[in-house]
Amino acid sequence: MESGDGGTRCRHEVVSVIRLLHVTKSFNTGKSNQFTAVQDVSLEIESGRVTVLKGPSGSGKTTLLTLIGCMARPTSGRIMLRAIGSSALPGMEEADEVEITSLPERFLTGIRRTAFGFIFQHFNLVRGITVLENVMLPAYPTGEGRGAVHGRALKLLEIFNISRHAHSRVDLLSGGEIQRVAIARALINNPSVIIADEPTAHLDTKLSGEFMEIIGNFKAEGKTILIASHDPLVHDSALVDMVVEMRDGRIIQDGSGR
Amino acid sequence: MRKSTVFFSFIILCGLLLFVILYRIPVSQKKSEAMIASNAKIVRELKLTDLSLFTEARYTRHPSMADLHSAFQDHPLALDHFPSGSLVTPPHFYNEAP
Amino acid sequence: MNSSFERHRNIVDFALSSLLRRKAKNLSLLAVYTLIVFVIASIIFFIHALKREAMLVLQNAPDMVVQRLAAGRNDPIPLGYQEKIAAIRGVSGVEPRLWGYYFDAAVGANYTLMASDKQQLEPESVIIGSGVARTRRLAEGDMMAFRAYNGEPTLFQVQSILPYASELVAADLIILSNRDFHALFNFPKGVATDFAVSVRNPRELTTIAAKIVRQFPDTRPILKREILRTYDSIFDWRGGMMIVVVAMAVLSFIIFAWDKATGLSAEERKEIGTLKSIGWETTDVLFLKFWEGSAISLSAFLCGVILAYCHVFFFSASLFEHALKGWAVLYPQFKLTPAVDPYQLAVLFFLTVIPYTVTTIVPSWRAATVEPDAAMRS
Repeated sequence: MESGDGGTRCRHEVVSVIRLLHVTKSFNTGKSNQFTAVQDVSLEIESGRVTVLKGPSGSGKTTLLTLIGCMARPTSGRIMLRAIGSSALPGMEEADEVEITSLPERFLTGIRRTAFGFIFQHFNLVRGITVLENVMLPAYPTGEGRGAVHGRALKLLEIFNISRHAHSRVDLLSGGEIQRVAIARALINNPSVIIADEPTAHLDTKLSGEFMEIIGNFKAEGKTILIASHDPLVHDSALVDMVVEMRDGRIIQDGSGR
Repeated sequence: MRKSTVFFSFIILCGLLLFVILYRIPVSQKKSEAMIASNAKIVRELKLTDLSLFTEARYTRHPSMADLHSAFQDHPLALDHFPSGSLVTPPHFYNEAP
Repeated sequence: MNSSFERHRNIVDFALSSLLRRKAKNLSLLAVYTLIVFVIASIIFFIHALKREAMLVLQNAPDMVVQRLAAGRNDPIPLGYQEKIAAIRGVSGVEPRLWGYYFDAAVGANYTLMASDKQQLEPESVIIGSGVARTRRLAEGDMMAFRAYNGEPTLFQVQSILPYASELVAADLIILSNRDFHALFNFPKGVATDFAVSVRNPRELTTIAAKIVRQFPDTRPILKREILRTYDSIFDWRGGMMIVVVAMAVLSFIIFAWDKATGLSAEERKEIGTLKSIGWETTDVLFLKFWEGSAISLSAFLCGVILAYCHVFFFSASLFEHALKGWAVLYPQFKLTPAVDPYQLAVLFFLTVIPYTVTTIVPSWRAATVEPDAAMRS
């Protein structure tokens, strides 16, 4: 597989970045409505690739994404992360592998902030504040100087063609514009992994095509991309390197697509 | 300007103002020493016993000289004077044994 | 730049943006909060300054005042008692006081009339307090008409007016000579209103008072410390108007806190979930809620206290005038010397800032510690 060589690409060979080992996630354990969203999933996500999780709703795609994105802990199993960029954890070498399942919340949050950029299905922007502030929000707790963050945010808005909305409230934007704000927000901390949950669910064909273009640019920059989608426009795209099919919380087919 | 800058400036300004106010109190007190001294002189010369705060009734004007029972002082139907009666309660020493 | 400081500043930025989303609600909350702090602080400052000035000035009151009671009511005291009281060991002086009240029907005001021969008064002249001058619009040299005991009008000339600064002690005073006092009221000779007794050793006051009562059982001595304690108990929190004000303030604070303490709305919980999912830690969220609460309570406290200080010490607590004036026609215009009790101020601070801030943080605790994906699913 040819890897792009533009932009900020890590200088390693293609190595696995995220490894899941027999990961299970159950909700309401012990109660009568116990429900297992993810069952015994083992997976390897390769760096610099576009991986798509395909499957109907309820197949556990979203849960898997939240587990990988350090937003929840699995009930059992382990998730290993290769040091992604030097900002992930202090004192770690780039080649080290870290088990995030056992990390305390503080470090987990640090990783989530700097290594991952999450684009939610319902965008989850904060209502009532400006576009610019929404984009800068993930950088607030890092203590980084506001000038630098501000500059980066404005540049991102420019890249996605929404600079003119910088000081408008997010409530006033169209669906496509809101998604681009969500994407810009995901990028503010320069993450190396982009995770998108059903990104084209609320978009028409034209906007979905634009979204895939943006994904192509990320891939060219060397970012690792993980998308959960049951939209053929996404999982049949030429950009996709690996499609993982899921059903009822299990992986039924794990293939390197093309 | 950042919102936090505005907010913190405001708080610090108010804090400083409060600090200056409190700090200047001893100065103001010194300045009014003369006035208090002249009032003290009037009290001493005329042998006054009360402040001229509530002038509507005898026992509100001179609460320290008043009879033991402040209600019904003038007439059984003349109840306690409001609002001064609600502001000046009978002093505690009335309840003590002589 | 210190990254921890930057982090806090960023969180404050967002807290303020968050508050500004509901501008009308939060501004009116701030306004009402400030108003309550203003009222309470004004009361605290006013009472403290007034009591302080009362103490300072009334320190010069007579050591003891001896009244006489007849059938449970105050009655003039025979001058014959004077010698015998002066003869008691420890008494350094006994001076008869001649004073009373005069109701001025023309304006409906009560004046206090005092007789004194030590003020170099011309015959049929009076020295009046500046409050009297104000109420009757009198100047030096004007004539003032009184109704004598028999209804006859009697004219007095205003010899001088007491200084404006003396309003607190002498606003309603009218000083006249002993002779004029007796003539105006047909006051019986051989008696005085009461005696002002001075003693050599203040510690012997109680003993001397006991001796006086034993010798003259119809007398009632009032000690200086009892005079002072009267003014200690004015504006007591436990009674009358004060307790209504306090109750209203406490109720208001409870209402503010209740609005916060009854937990978060679903929208707020979702927002916390969003923040956590984009990389905010639990402590970040809690700081956010802390600053949301503190921004309002801190601003309200500072503004309220500063405004209260100006109100009481620059505007003579004019907003309280109606409450204090009551039914009186003559109300003293006095400017209080600034005096603040730092302990009371500290208590006010802890009462206004801490509970409100706590009730902003505590309900968010649970939401802030929940895993982000769980918060977002709900």
